Amino acid sequence: MDQLNQSLAALGSHLFVIFGLLACAAAAVMIFSKSAVHSVLAFLFAMLSVAACYLTQQAEFLGVAQLLVYAGGIVVLFLFVVMLVELSKFKEKGLFQAQAKAAVPLVAVLVGLFAWFFRQALFGAPAKEALTLPAEISGGLDVAANNAQAVSRGLFSGWLLPFEILSVILLVALVGAIVLAKAERV
Amino acid sequence: MASPNAVLLVSFLLFSIGIAGVLIRRNALVILMCIELMLNAANLNFVSMARHSGTVGGHAIALLVMGYAAAEVAVGLALVVALYRKRDTIQVDDINLLKG
Repeated sequence: MDQLNQSLAALGSHLFVIFGLLACAAAAVMIFSKSAVHSVLAFLFAMLSVAACYLTQQAEFLGVAQLLVYAGGIVVLFLFVVMLVELSKFKEKGLFQAQAKAAVPLVAVLVGLFAWFFRQALFGAPAKEALTLPAEISGGLDVAANNAQAVSRGLFSGWLLPFEILSVILLVALVGAIVLAKAERV
Repeated sequence: MASPNAVLLVSFLLFSIGIAGVLIRRNALVILMCIELMLNAANLNFVSMARHSGTVGGHAIALLVMGYAAAEVAVGLALVVALYRKRDTIQVDDINLLKG
């Protein structure tokens, strides 16, 4: 039993790496698949893996929000556009742009440079508590057990102005999307 | 609990895959998806640093970025649809209206 618990704990500490690599693999499939529907499905898988990564980082609320926003909203939007746009007539054209030959080595060089910096980036141990709030905000809330409430208190105390700006931007995007996609200008 | 280095590495890999996709693909839909992927990589960094420091700011920013990503994808897809109506293509190589 102890052995089982230990192996479960070991698995838990590797869950992030597992899901992160799954997300990277799905992203690679997304780039290199010929059919746009396959790309969207790989994108969905990558988003689900990122949501799982959030859960392993003890960001439960963000993980669920990721599921709702991406799997529930954005992927469906992409699938609708794939349905609207006739893609089969593009088949005879090349999959990649002309600059792909230069772009791939450039990205590889950038990966190498960043990996060099990450090699030296060392951090101390993470905080003991996954999330702490200042006493005047938390008001006796059990932060560890109520992630969504803790995030909302932090959001609406320190991040109220960006939140309101976001709501205006969403409204502008809504109107702009309707105007852009409308068939004929009146 | 993964180390912050592992998180940084994963989010960096996701970001570079997104950049590679934007640079090499011709399909505007896939390019939009790659932009979403890059935003997600940045979000992953924010969440990991929030976990590292134990403060709520990273969570708040990640949530706001999700909203901005939704707005961006709505406008971007509307542009793709409008482009398809006008030029009958969504291949970015074929969009040369400014070329004269």
